[in-house]
Order: sequence, then C-alpha cells, then structure tokens
Amino acid sequence: MVISIIKILTVSIISLLIIICVALFYSYAESNWWQPKYSVTIAVSKTPLSTPFYVAKAIGAFDKTCVNVKFDNVVGGQKAFTKVMTGDVDFGTSSDSVIAFQSLANKGFVTHAMFVQSNNDVKFLSRSSEKVDSVFDLKGKKIGVIQGTASEYFVSILLALEGLTTEDVTLRYYKPEALINGFINNEVDAFVPWEPFAFNSTKQLRDKVKVHNTKNLNSLSFNLISLTADNLLVEKAKCIIQGLSIATDYIAGNQEESKQIVMRELNLSAAFIEWVWPDYIFKLALNQSLIFSVQSQAIWAVATQMSEFEKVSDVERFIDSRAMLQVIPNAVNVSQ
Amino acid sequence: MNVSLSQRIFFFVLSCCLLFILLLASVTWSSYAVETAFKRDNYAKQLTNQTYRLKQLVANDNIYDANYNLEHWHALEVTLTNLLQSSPKLTAQQQTIQMSLQSQNENLKSLFTLINKNKLKNASEVIKVHLKTRLMTQLEAIQSDSLQLSAIAQKDIYDTIQRQAFLIISVSVASIIGLLFGAFSLTYIVRKSLNEVKRAFEKNQSGDFQNIQFSHHSQEFDSIAQAFNTMNKKLSDTTVSLTVMKEVVEDRTKVLEQLSNTDALTKVANRRALFERANMEFSRARRAGTELTLLLLDCDFFKKVNDDFGHLFGDQLLVHICNICSQEIRDVDFLARYGGEEFIIVLPHCDIAGGIETASRIQSSLAKNSLTINNQEIAITLSIGACTLSDRHKHLEQLINDTDQAMYQAKKNGRNRIEVLRSTNLH
Repeated sequence: MVISIIKILTVSIISLLIIICVALFYSYAESNWWQPKYSVTIAVSKTPLSTPFYVAKAIGAFDKTCVNVKFDNVVGGQKAFTKVMTGDVDFGTSSDSVIAFQSLANKGFVTHAMFVQSNNDVKFLSRSSEKVDSVFDLKGKKIGVIQGTASEYFVSILLALEGLTTEDVTLRYYKPEALINGFINNEVDAFVPWEPFAFNSTKQLRDKVKVHNTKNLNSLSFNLISLTADNLLVEKAKCIIQGLSIATDYIAGNQEESKQIVMRELNLSAAFIEWVWPDYIFKLALNQSLIFSVQSQAIWAVATQMSEFEKVSDVERFIDSRAMLQVIPNAVNVSQ
Repeated sequence: MNVSLSQRIFFFVLSCCLLFILLLASVTWSSYAVETAFKRDNYAKQLTNQTYRLKQLVANDNIYDANYNLEHWHALEVTLTNLLQSSPKLTAQQQTIQMSLQSQNENLKSLFTLINKNKLKNASEVIKVHLKTRLMTQLEAIQSDSLQLSAIAQKDIYDTIQRQAFLIISVSVASIIGLLFGAFSLTYIVRKSLNEVKRAFEKNQSGDFQNIQFSHHSQEFDSIAQAFNTMNKKLSDTTVSLTVMKEVVEDRTKVLEQLSNTDALTKVANRRALFERANMEFSRARRAGTELTLLLLDCDFFKKVNDDFGHLFGDQLLVHICNICSQEIRDVDFLARYGGEEFIIVLPHCDIAGGIETASRIQSSLAKNSLTINNQEIAITLSIGACTLSDRHKHLEQLINDTDQAMYQAKKNGRNRIEVLRSTNLH
C-alpha cells in the first residue's frame, strides 16, 4: 500500500517534471527556432544619437528578435527619410524636425518610436571675428544651415526671439558635412551644425569659431520611421523596438561599454563622446509631447514660410503606436 | 550512511524550517520591494500633479502680459525642481526617465526664462504662440515621463506581487510534497523494518536462526537487530546441543533396545524379542488367515559336547548353529534363542511343507559345516519340531507348545530328525 503510493507519487512527480521540461523546451524552441526571421534594412544616421542601434547590433540584441538587421549608414535624418520614402530601406532614423517638415508634404510615412532625445545636439557657431554676442548681431549675416531640418528650424527660432526673420539674414543651405567648408571658404559668417560636425568644427577651427550656449533652447529627438505600415511592417517594427529596448536597458547599465561601441562604430574620439554624452537621454517612448513638438514645428515652418506648403496636416496620423504598444505599452502616451 | 529515525525527523523539521525562513525572507523582501515601488509610484504621481498645475497655469494665464505675476509660476517650478531632486531610489530604467525628467525641467526653465527675459517685446505673435506651445510641449514631455515612471512602478508592484504569489505557491507545494514524501518514507521504513523483525521472530520460532538484515538502516532498528542477533546466536548454540543430546539419547535407546532384544552370546533375538515378534506374526496370520509355521530346534547331545569339550566350545557351537540357521532362512523369517540349546524360527506365510523344507536345509547345511576342535571334527545334529498355525491355536503359547511337543517327538524318535505335530496328535 505504502510502496504503491510512493511509486505513484514518484511517477507523478517525474511526469510533472517531464511535462514542465517539454513545455519549457517547446516555448523556447517556438520563440527561438520557429520564429520567422525578416531581413530589414535601416537607414541609420551617422551620429551618436543612433547609439541604441549600434549597441543593439554589438550586443546581438536583434538576434533574439524576428529581424535580421542590416544598416545603411547615412549622413543626417533627412537622407534617411528620403531612403525610406524611395523604398531603398525599410526603416530609417529621423529627427522630429525632419518629421515635422515632411509631414507638411503629406507623405505616407509613420513614426513608430522615439529612442533618444537631446537638448543640445544642434549648435550655433559664429566666426569669432564677427563678434556675434546677441541675436541682433546676426542681422544681415550669412548663416549656413541644413534645409528642412532641426538646423533650419533652430536658427529661425533664434532669430524670432528678437523679432527677426529669415529675411533679415541670408540663409545658405548645405549638406551636413559641407557646412564647415562654407565657413572656411567665407561663404557664411555663422552656421548651425549638429553633432559630430559641431565638435569637429570647433576642433578644426579652434579660436576662429565661437560656440554659443544654446543648451536647453532646442530639444531634439530621434525616431524610428517607415512607410505607412501594414501588419507585417508593424511586426518588423515591433522586433526592431524589442532589440532597441534591450539596447537602451544595456546603455542605462553599461555607459562606458556603450560609449566604446559608438566610438568604434563611428570612429569617434573619446573627447567627443565625453562632450556629447551628457546631453543624450536614450529611452524608448511614444508620447503626446512628440506630437506637440512635431505639430508646433510644422506650424512654425508654415508660418515662417520655411516650407512651400501652407497647410498643416493632422500630425497624429504620422504616429503608429501598434508596435510600441506590443513592446513597452507603459511608454506609450498618445491618443489611440 | 546510517541515519537514525530521530535524525531523519530532525532533518525533515529543519528542512521545513528552512523553507519557512525562505518564505518569510521572500515575503519581507517583497514587502520592501512593494513599498519601494509604491514610493516611486507616489513620486511619479506627485510629479504628474505638479506638472498638471504648471500646464493649467500656462494654459490659463497670459504669460506675455507685462503684469503677469511670476511668483506663482516660480513657486510651482521650485516645487517641481525640489521634487525632482528628492527622488526615491530608482531602477536603471527609471533612472533614465529621471534623467529625461531633469533635462526636460531644465529645458522648461530655460524656455520660461527666455520668454520672461524681456517678454519677447520684439518678437512676433507667431513666435510667442510657438514658444508657448513649446512650453506646453515640455510640460507634456515631463507629464509623459512621470506617467511612464508611474506605470513602471505599478508594473513592478504587480510583478512583485505575482512573483511573491508564485513563490508562496511553489514553496507551499514543495513543502506539501516534502511533508508527504517524508511522512510516507518514514512510515514505509518503520513498517518494513517491523515486518522484517516479525519475520525474523517467525523464522526463529521455526528453528531457523537467521540474523535480521534490514533493507533500510536506522540506528534504532539496527540496535534492535544487534540485540536480536546476539540473542539468536546464544539460542542457536543452546539448541544445537539439545539436538545432539537427542540424537545421542536416541542412539543409546536404540542400542539398549537392541541389547534387550538380542541374545548376548549368539547375537540373535532373545526370548523376549521372540515373543514380541512371534505374537505380532501370530496375530497377523490369524487376522489375515495366512500361513504361519514355527520350527523349534534343539541341539542333540549338547550336554555331552559341553562335558567333553568344555563350555566355551559349547558356546561356539551355539553361535555356529545360529550362523547356519541365519544363512538358510528367508529375510522375513525370524530366528531367536528360546533357551539353552533351543532355538525357534518363525516362518510367516509358510505352510508345513515349507517349514519342513527349511528345517531340512538347515540340517543339511549343518551336516556339511561341522565344527573342528583339536583336529577332531565334531558332527552336530538338530532335532527339529515343526507346527503350523491352525484354528485350535488361540494363543501363541499353544502353537509353541505344539512345536515343542513335535521336537520332543523328534528326540524321542532318535534325534537328528524333523517331526511334525500332525492333527491326529492333536487333542
């Protein structure tokens, strides 16, 4: 009697353990082996703002998701945006300013997530000899900007603070990497680059250039964008966001290692990383403030005639929260 | 390893205590984790409320108005800043949000300072509206971050409670399984050991003195086994002596019985044995209606032989006669010394003719095998009386008596002959 009960107990426990093992194995196998793998190409802007992507790749964060990621390194979010729209890539990284400008053209794109924010990425540099101490001093000056980006938006705001407009100065448009050449060639008296061009310019031009303290005046975010997404694209976006989520957690806990990864990836100096790193906050979110930011910039672009378009679209339709809601629902704060 | 039952119970109780301590520690840890998460949630909610107040202020008041009272704004902003500086201990993920909150707050302060620097007296209405929107955007960003912080804290609370519930259930299930296993194994060991003791006693009772070999060792039962095995050894030794004694007694009895039934000189059955066997055969023959014949043999001139050649030779002669008789009779026949130089042979299932034939064979054999003394061959003869059981023989003594009469007749008729007591001679 006792022996048979012990036997039954033993058999039951062993059976239970086997069932648990099989269930665990099945769930592991299902999540790791039988998950479809999609190949996606992401146009990544060559800036430390794209750190979550580089870290995700370096630590193999995408390996655990449904995507095989290939990077197409581009200079600037606008270029990345263009590649997304032409279908050269599946996803891209763009600033909220680019999104604001492009939303006016009513193009078919969506933003899936914001992954970094900085309040000091775009900088205002003027020639030392021009003695620019206030905004008023910019009147009649030639300023180099990157058209349709945070660079152009920022300078327009600076001017407007003192009642000036872009008509009171001469704006010259350059590609991001060409801004410094315009300055060296005396084509402009001041220019508005973003990092790492701002840092490189100060290193190269040394005392010929003055860096104005504009920290906190311009908040910039970088976002994951794609063409208007169908279910499959949302699924891919979800997997990319999963990888980015692992990466941002890693960055939060491993600051030094993350810096090393970006330095290797973008061939940057330690001095530069130390210069920009405190300004960056790497976190995934999709909230109302992004919509407000994009909307206000779009309205501003229309009001100041920076854009050829005259009507501001409903910005919310450029936000797709489906992917984020599946990964980090508590980081989503937009009207559904 | 030899573990006592009390040690097993001790380990068992200790394991239960450890599980209980583990449970207690996890409950303490969980309550701490939940409390911390509640503090974080409370912190996030305070931030949300404070941001909401600032939003209300910006939305309702004209911040560009020359008479706008900054004190209210500053009071709320200072509270928000102080709140951000007094954050509870946060996780790495929450720390990132905290950094974002601080950065957004700095942006908010810078923007508000810029707006209030000279009330943007030179700026257009468009930029004023735009900057006010930017201000609201910053506040919205702070509120979103606060809400996310709160959501993470709430998720932590939920996860901690869920984990704790899972742990409590797991530990409880493990304890119940452990308790059941412990109780069953203890019962099993005690029962099996008691059965083994019982079997050992039963074997002991039936004379199979085997040591107890427990299939499960425990100090308590092993001490019982040791005492039992010592007792068993002593019993075994004593009982072996009794057996030997019994065998010896049986052997002696057998020898004594043989001695009491055997004639000391001739080594054939004596008179006592003769009557025992003859009575048995007599009863059997009468009951079964089978034949029974008696021969009574008397050595002729035995007294003279004794006188001439001495008693030793006489004894030798009697032994010789017995040897001859033993050789000539069947296995079922029975030879006994009746007295002096007289012998009786009981012939079961044998009629008178058979009896005469046996008697003749004995006489012939004796004639051929004479004894020699001092190179002198001594011829020995026998006078044999034969009688077969008949209806008139109610007792063995009557049959012996008739046989004896036949033998006297043989003596009377000249010795060395066989006489049969005919029916005519009967009553």
